[in-house]
Amino acid sequence: MSPLAQRIVRRSSMFVVALLFVAALWELYKVVGPEDGGALLGINILPRSNDRAMPHIWDMLSRYNRPELRSSERKIWRVVLAGAWFSFRLSLVGFAIGTTVGVLLATLMARFKVVERGLLPYLVVSQTVPLIALAPLVVSWGGKLEVFGYEWPRWLSASVLGAFLAFFPVAVGTLRGLSSANHASLELMDSYAASWTQTLFRLRFPSAIPFMVPAFKLAASASVIGVVVAEISTGLKGGIGRLIIEYAREATGDPAKVFTAVFGAALLGLAMAGLVAAFDLYVMRNRPKEAT
Amino acid sequence: MSTVNVSNLNKIFNKGQTNQVDALVDVSLSVEQGEFVSLIGPSGCGKSTLLRLIANLLEPTSGDVVVAGKSAKQARLDQDYGMAFQQAGLFDWRTVSKNIELPLELKGWDKTKREARAKEMLDLVKLPEFSGHFPWQLSGGMQQRVAIARALAAHPPLLLMDEPFGALDEMTREHMQAELLSICAKTGTTVVFVTHSIPEAVYLSNRVVVMSPRPGRITKIVDVKLDGQRNESTRERPEFFAAITSVREALRAGGGHAHAGAGVEDR
Ligand SMILES: Nc1ncnc2c1ncn2[C@@H]1O[C@H](COP(=O)(O)OP(=O)(O)OP(=O)(O)O)[C@@H](O)[C@H]1O
Ligand SMILES: [Mg+2]
Repeated sequence: MSPLAQRIVRRSSMFVVALLFVAALWELYKVVGPEDGGALLGINILPRSNDRAMPHIWDMLSRYNRPELRSSERKIWRVVLAGAWFSFRLSLVGFAIGTTVGVLLATLMARFKVVERGLLPYLVVSQTVPLIALAPLVVSWGGKLEVFGYEWPRWLSASVLGAFLAFFPVAVGTLRGLSSANHASLELMDSYAASWTQTLFRLRFPSAIPFMVPAFKLAASASVIGVVVAEISTGLKGGIGRLIIEYAREATGDPAKVFTAVFGAALLGLAMAGLVAAFDLYVMRNRPKEAT
Repeated sequence: MSTVNVSNLNKIFNKGQTNQVDALVDVSLSVEQGEFVSLIGPSGCGKSTLLRLIANLLEPTSGDVVVAGKSAKQARLDQDYGMAFQQAGLFDWRTVSKNIELPLELKGWDKTKREARAKEMLDLVKLPEFSGHFPWQLSGGMQQRVAIARALAAHPPLLLMDEPFGALDEMTREHMQAELLSICAKTGTTVVFVTHSIPEAVYLSNRVVVMSPRPGRITKIVDVKLDGQRNESTRERPEFFAAITSVREALRAGGGHAHAGAGVEDR
């Protein structure tokens, strides 16, 4: 087996083992945990272990194979998968916008120190704005926008919120990466009388890649969170966020149902992380391998 | 016409501040076309600074640097020199061949011409079968040879080298010295070479420039009277030892204190 295939196999089996471990912990807690919650050291923190609060793993899994509603024929796994796919596309758009903006801002900041000094504090502050407060605002602005004759689609607002969370790690990581080029290499480019753009593309970006990949990983999950939260707080139809709130309302009668949607959201996050991991493997394929 | 002409050069770092360093004081030197000149001296005497001034990577505090008949800046813009450092400084993400093509790319050469030249340079440094490898797949000595190939790729009339063999073992080092000489003989390149090793300086050079620190200045220039082809037996000739002795004495005399010559290898 090639080293790459070995790595993939090892990583995925570790992942499966981790999943099984979490499932085992869950079931174990259901055995030993207090039915109606409880206090630990006087603080009420132990969650309830009854079937309504914590359904059995097998109940959640079997729920996938039953219809969404009693009145409908559609199995719930189809509904969840369709919702995850919808949100995945929104997240992808958000991720694309976010990383583009992030990389552009980082480049600008690397080029002009003034921009870095002026902009960076605002970028940091921007991330402290609560997303829940921002989501309805962006949706209502979006509703009034018309770009080149196209009406601003409602889903785009969710993507924009994903992008809003995604751009920050990318901007910061890329900025770090762009300034990580070593002094000797920069001097070498100087000795060739290379222009700033030539140095940017031939030296600074390639040196930044190892910093950008982890930033992209953060951005991928951030864009998913942004999209799902936007869906939840604006009630956008079609995505996994909407399914989560709808199913959560039925938690008393059908406690396993909301978990099917939660796992759908997890799957969505995994898919995004998988994309970035593939990108990582591709761009780092010719770099020295660190000993693993 | 001399390839490098440095006159009354001064370089003061952090002028007027408490940490002011007189790195170079009143340095004058001229290097003729095709000549091989080494700079030697204890650590901190301004060898690298002098090389960077010639390369126009630093601006002099006062004085003139003329390279290939032009101002140092114009020479840099015209890529009239190639440079190699102690660390090979190859780009990890480029193949050996692409590393050598880098200066040509920046000059705007087209692809076929670049590839042909890279191949030619790889033959010159005796690494033809490694063009598709990545630098980290090469040994230190091979990397250094690639760096030299890169420095020479555009056929610059002048080569500036700052302890390029410093990180190599003795065997590889002697081998590389012989190769460097044969490459320079073939291409007629002028070389300014910084080193810490007296035998290396003597073996390679037509002239050895001895420098001393605080403030950095040239104390003596030793003519090496080894004419013609240099090879392994050169290292056993009386003229070789004579030159080594006079460089060593110049280094001792230069500092005027007990530690003069510290940091210079006597091997
Ligand atoms: N950018 C800089 N800023 C301030 N001082 C500097 C700078 N570069 C060099 N110096 C000082 O100038 C002096 C000469 O440095 P230089 O690097 O030229 O020495 P060198 O002869 O090359 O030494 P070595 O043999 O250790 O490489 C040193 O005292 C050093 O501290
Ligand atoms: Mg030095």
